[in-house]
Amino acid sequence: MIAILEQGLLLALAAMGVYISFRVVDLPDLTPDGSYIVGAAVVAALLRSGHGWVSSVFLAALAASAAGFITALISTRFKIHTLLASIMVMTGLYSVAIRIMNSPNLPIPRFSTEKVLSYEQIVGKTPLDDILGGSGSFQYEKEGVRAAIVPFNNRADGHDLFIIAMFVVVIGFLLWLFLRTELGTMLRGYGRNRFAVKVLGVNPNFFALMGLTVANFLVGLSGALFSMYSGFADVNMGAGMVVVCLASVILGEIIFGSREFAYGLLFPVVGAVVYQILLSLAMKYGYRIGFRPSDMKLLTAMFVVSVIAARRFKKSEVTV
Amino acid sequence: MLRKSLAAVVALLLVSVLSFGAVRIGITQIVDHPALNAVFDGIVKALEDAGFKIGTDVLIDRQNAQGSVQNAAAIARKFASEKVDIVVAITTPSAQACVQVITDRPVVFSAVTDPVGAGLIKQMGRNDSNVVGVSDMVPVSTHLRLIKTVFPNAKRVGVLYNPGEANSVTLTNMAKAAAPSLGLTIVDMTGTNASEMVAAVNSVGPDVDVIYIGTDNTAAASMQAIGAAALRLKKPIVAADIDIARQGGLIGFGFDYFQVGVETGKLVVEILKGKKPSELESHLIGPESLLLFINLDLMKELNVSIPQEIINRANIVVENGQEVKR
Repeated sequence: MIAILEQGLLLALAAMGVYISFRVVDLPDLTPDGSYIVGAAVVAALLRSGHGWVSSVFLAALAASAAGFITALISTRFKIHTLLASIMVMTGLYSVAIRIMNSPNLPIPRFSTEKVLSYEQIVGKTPLDDILGGSGSFQYEKEGVRAAIVPFNNRADGHDLFIIAMFVVVIGFLLWLFLRTELGTMLRGYGRNRFAVKVLGVNPNFFALMGLTVANFLVGLSGALFSMYSGFADVNMGAGMVVVCLASVILGEIIFGSREFAYGLLFPVVGAVVYQILLSLAMKYGYRIGFRPSDMKLLTAMFVVSVIAARRFKKSEVTV
Repeated sequence: MLRKSLAAVVALLLVSVLSFGAVRIGITQIVDHPALNAVFDGIVKALEDAGFKIGTDVLIDRQNAQGSVQNAAAIARKFASEKVDIVVAITTPSAQACVQVITDRPVVFSAVTDPVGAGLIKQMGRNDSNVVGVSDMVPVSTHLRLIKTVFPNAKRVGVLYNPGEANSVTLTNMAKAAAPSLGLTIVDMTGTNASEMVAAVNSVGPDVDVIYIGTDNTAAASMQAIGAAALRLKKPIVAADIDIARQGGLIGFGFDYFQVGVETGKLVVEILKGKKPSELESHLIGPESLLLFINLDLMKELNVSIPQEIINRANIVVENGQEVKR
């Protein structure tokens, strides 16, 4: 149960980001599929080069927020829908992440490792050596790495949960404070009515930039923490992040049944935890009702659509 | 209705009584994939060969992360918190997730090309930890020498792989290290999905003499299309995986993933018999499991000649549309 809470709260940070882009500023943004990996990749690369985890996590989130900024910049400058702009950025980030890690998968080492050698160097010979002549020995060495220091101890003693919960509480509180400031209020206003903000004499593009930057900062933070928590970064980590986060946000909205701002930031948090619980229930008992692992994505998609459809029948006002 | 649920309760009780004393093995893999499923089958085979009955002596909890690293981590935590006695992790990300959280029970990894680089173990061989396993690394330099022997005039070898797969990147780097001493140049041919792979063959293919494919999952999944594209260009494919070679390759020199599973299963059996992972050795699939595959039909179609000496060594040949095991 502790593990489910931990993963739920890690997801909650990303879900808060998606909540900001989809709900607060109302700019559908798929960048998170990429910025999540950027967060994970940057933290793994920095930790391996000997940086402290606090600065690594912060820089990782900052790098991810830059991705959101670029999406918004493309969208506002070239007047492209954010959805399209974010697909471009997300696609590009796949390559960027591999560049950052210099590999598609980078472990955050818990212990120092030795050199990596080739098959021939380890085994010595292969059955075809007599025909092919000579031996297959050649110099291949990949340097081992030193252990990195991360805050997670990976035991179910509540230690990890505490750290993750602190992040969620502190970030959630800061976000709540920010959304109450004049700037934050205008940001929310931008989401409700783009033209009203223009009347106030502020360039609305500014809010698009700010909204997506903040959103992807949170997603990158989630990716960075998840990568420290699970011990590695992988370029395929981010796939489907947006859908999962959106499902979490919508779940939260159903649970609270209201969309008032005061609860707003709780939607993604509670939704993400509940989503994680549902996921583990499906993993644990799903096979008894003929459920296959590959059905999971279909279920997630059907879930999101049916919830939206159900609300459509209930009220006329729907904004997904 | 009542009777039905009562029956269900009784059945459940019966199962839990029967399973009392049985060993629980949690097996996790990243995605549904024929080669990875073959690994699973191989593990089961090894357990059965050693006299363990699946379902009574050994209970298997098989989990699949559906391609999601988040799910892989969730599965690892699930195994950590439940009464699973041994964890078997197939593929790199699944193994990384398990090794991170399970430190008090044996973790056996399988089908990981570079377990040291992936941070699973400190070194190949014996390690002072709860982790042991089987690597599916292949002899890349031998493959290149095989290419050099069969195609003496070959200069440029195109390596077709997905830059998003850690295993493929490791093998490609090894090929780049081994190539110069053989007078070969490695040319990258990359794609992250089936259509990009075919595009890579069509665009880079004309500039290379031979196409080499490692244990790349993306290439494996789109091999039919890749094989057809290479045939149009009259370029031979040499693969490090028998199953990849079967679907359009001229030569394959590698192992069955079923065999990888059997080797993994043997480690599990040792642990079931009371050995600790620190008493066992992490190893590569031995040379005795390496099989040579040659498609003689394709050889004629491409108009190449393979030295008879090498053909004689083949374990599997395709002749007149028939696969013959020797």
